[in-house]
Amino acid sequence: MTWRRLRTLIIREVRATFRDPFTVTILIAVPIVALMLFGFVMTTEVKGLELGVHDAAGTAASRRLVADLAAQGTFVPRPFATRDALERAIGSGRLTAAIVIPPDFDRGLEAFRRGGPPPEIEVVYDAAETVLAGNAEGYLRAIVETTATSLVADPGTTRRPGVEVATRTLFNPKLDGTAYMVSGVYGFVLSFLTVLITAVSIVGERAAGTFEQLQVTPATSLEILLGKLLPLGAVFAFDVLLMALIAGFGIGVWPQGSLLFFLAVSAVYVLISLAIGLLISATSRSAAEAVQRSVLFSIPLVQLSGFVVPVRNMPEWLQWVTTIFPATHYITVSRAIYLRGEGPLTLWPQILFIVAGGVVLITYAARKIEQRA
Amino acid sequence: MTWRFWSNVLAVAYKETRVLRNDPAVMAMMLIQPVIMVLLFGGALSYKPRNVPWAVLDRDGTALSRRFVESVGRTEYFVPPQPVYSYREGERLLARGAVLAFVVVPETFERDAARGHARVQLLLDGSEPLSAARIGGVVSAVASTFRAEPATAPVRAGPIDVRQRFRFNPTLTDRLFYLAALAGILLTNLCMSGTSLGLVGERENGTYEQMLSLPTSSIEIVLGKLLPIVVICYVVLALATILAGVIFGFWPRGSFLLLCVVALPFVLASLAIGVLVSTVAHTSAQAVFITVFCIMPSFILSGIMLPYALMPHPIREIGGILPLRWFQIASRRIVGRGTGVVDVLGPMAILVLIFAVLLVLIRWRMKPRLG
Repeated sequence: MTWRRLRTLIIREVRATFRDPFTVTILIAVPIVALMLFGFVMTTEVKGLELGVHDAAGTAASRRLVADLAAQGTFVPRPFATRDALERAIGSGRLTAAIVIPPDFDRGLEAFRRGGPPPEIEVVYDAAETVLAGNAEGYLRAIVETTATSLVADPGTTRRPGVEVATRTLFNPKLDGTAYMVSGVYGFVLSFLTVLITAVSIVGERAAGTFEQLQVTPATSLEILLGKLLPLGAVFAFDVLLMALIAGFGIGVWPQGSLLFFLAVSAVYVLISLAIGLLISATSRSAAEAVQRSVLFSIPLVQLSGFVVPVRNMPEWLQWVTTIFPATHYITVSRAIYLRGEGPLTLWPQILFIVAGGVVLITYAARKIEQRA
Repeated sequence: MTWRFWSNVLAVAYKETRVLRNDPAVMAMMLIQPVIMVLLFGGALSYKPRNVPWAVLDRDGTALSRRFVESVGRTEYFVPPQPVYSYREGERLLARGAVLAFVVVPETFERDAARGHARVQLLLDGSEPLSAARIGGVVSAVASTFRAEPATAPVRAGPIDVRQRFRFNPTLTDRLFYLAALAGILLTNLCMSGTSLGLVGERENGTYEQMLSLPTSSIEIVLGKLLPIVVICYVVLALATILAGVIFGFWPRGSFLLLCVVALPFVLASLAIGVLVSTVAHTSAQAVFITVFCIMPSFILSGIMLPYALMPHPIREIGGILPLRWFQIASRRIVGRGTGVVDVLGPMAILVLIFAVLLVLIRWRMKPRLG
């Protein structure tokens, strides 16, 4: 292996890549769009959700309850004259949550003050929108509880039943989904885009016959391989840096931990993507086939790696399966650095796995390519 | 004239079917994908927290405090708690991501409970916002109903008794949420990648020009190529419905026939997007690239994975122009809630409209190429 030959190959690869405007656009546009789209979609905050209201009482107390539900913009009340109309709206999916206040609401409150049973209100959710219903439930209950306590407030008693929970949320006090998703997007882009681009670039070269041409030059197959992988790897590393800067300046999400450490781990993970791309290219005949393979392989991988849904929520046997994917570990690490500011001291098992996976995959891919050559 | 038109379309469709039958990639998309997706969305993906690791610092150490910790742990969300012996130790576990929640019971817990002032501290790891929010709610709910007195004493509830009813999905299982919209995911994959690949591939191999030199018009070729994919779509739709029913016992609550009717404008619109992509792309690799990067965000933005109503505004509007968004609404209404025709007319009309707009765009894009 000589440095001169390798350098020639690298220059050739860089020129070939930049001459193709499509690839350049993809390499820059996809990471940015992914950041912008995914960064904002996950939220636990319920805001402006339509709430059907059938207020059969129509008294000051019931109106106060409805006003409190609307107060912070959490719910937008929509009155329904009959209970039937309300049930129909829920049943057809036009409404996710609704509240029914009975005609004897005030009498019930009065009875409660004198030690009787509390009045009942009914809340109906359209649980076919499962996540939304689950989030709305928490908000609605908390608001009703606060209002209820102030409605029957009696300065004489300070005793209340139950245990009060003082909750403190560390690392992300507003439970904002943006940082969570942003730190996961790296895993998504690096396991998806990079594998695709690598596979297509190599298969395309083979299909065009230029791969054979390279092989008859004095360059060894290792040099040819490195000549392809090094520039690609550099571009992907640049993508990571680009995303980190856009996430920081554009969205305001910087890692809590060390950015340098994050970039170093990402660089290792890029090697894995390159190796997987190589493997796919070694087993595909045409570029289209390579792309299809990588898609079929990447979609479940991205879903199972904890990008959107935590791995912990999956059945146990599947959790074992996901530990084989380097993507799972990479997403764990990037979230730990971004959100909890962890360092190498606590993350070494995951990093060790990523490095080991990279070495094994690269060696295997190189073997496979050699066999084909 | 019309007879010749359709006979040409059928001839191309026949040729296309023979080609597809020998294409292993298409067979894989058809048969393997529904199985993987049904298993993935039915069994694997769930937002509901499970196996949540948590730590407990019980400074009181009385029977009452132990009963409190037990009643939190009895909810279905947690693994057995990890006892810790100092506040710092618990915080360290949180910072390492080893636990998601940390409950601190103060020394005075039992005494406070007797006076009606019992309180505990809950520390959550907010780096997983959805899980943290749910877990916080769960612990608060358990705590508010926890009573220091033995169960024989009458329990006095809060000032307002909230009776909750979760229609269609009483246990709030995410499985139902996903499976009701699964058809949308499968059909999007199939239509968009199938078409753009097929059309561009033909152009790459030069067989497109060959067909043009026959007495078939370009519109006949496109229709003939799409017809088999429409048939495959319905096969996949039926397959996915049967799989979800057999494996997870989740059968459509409404009429399957109605679902098939709504699927038609959706399939046509998705195919039209595929055709549009094929007019933009030069090689099949580019075509798949574009479709893949259309497909992935559309799953998120259409409300298939995450609730649409909670997304911020400019992003929500992008989702509104996707056919998947409207099919998802219709599919959830029919499959998840069992509504009738009237409730899906709106989404269906929008799907037809999107299809019409796409047709206009395709005519405009295709003309210069065939000149």
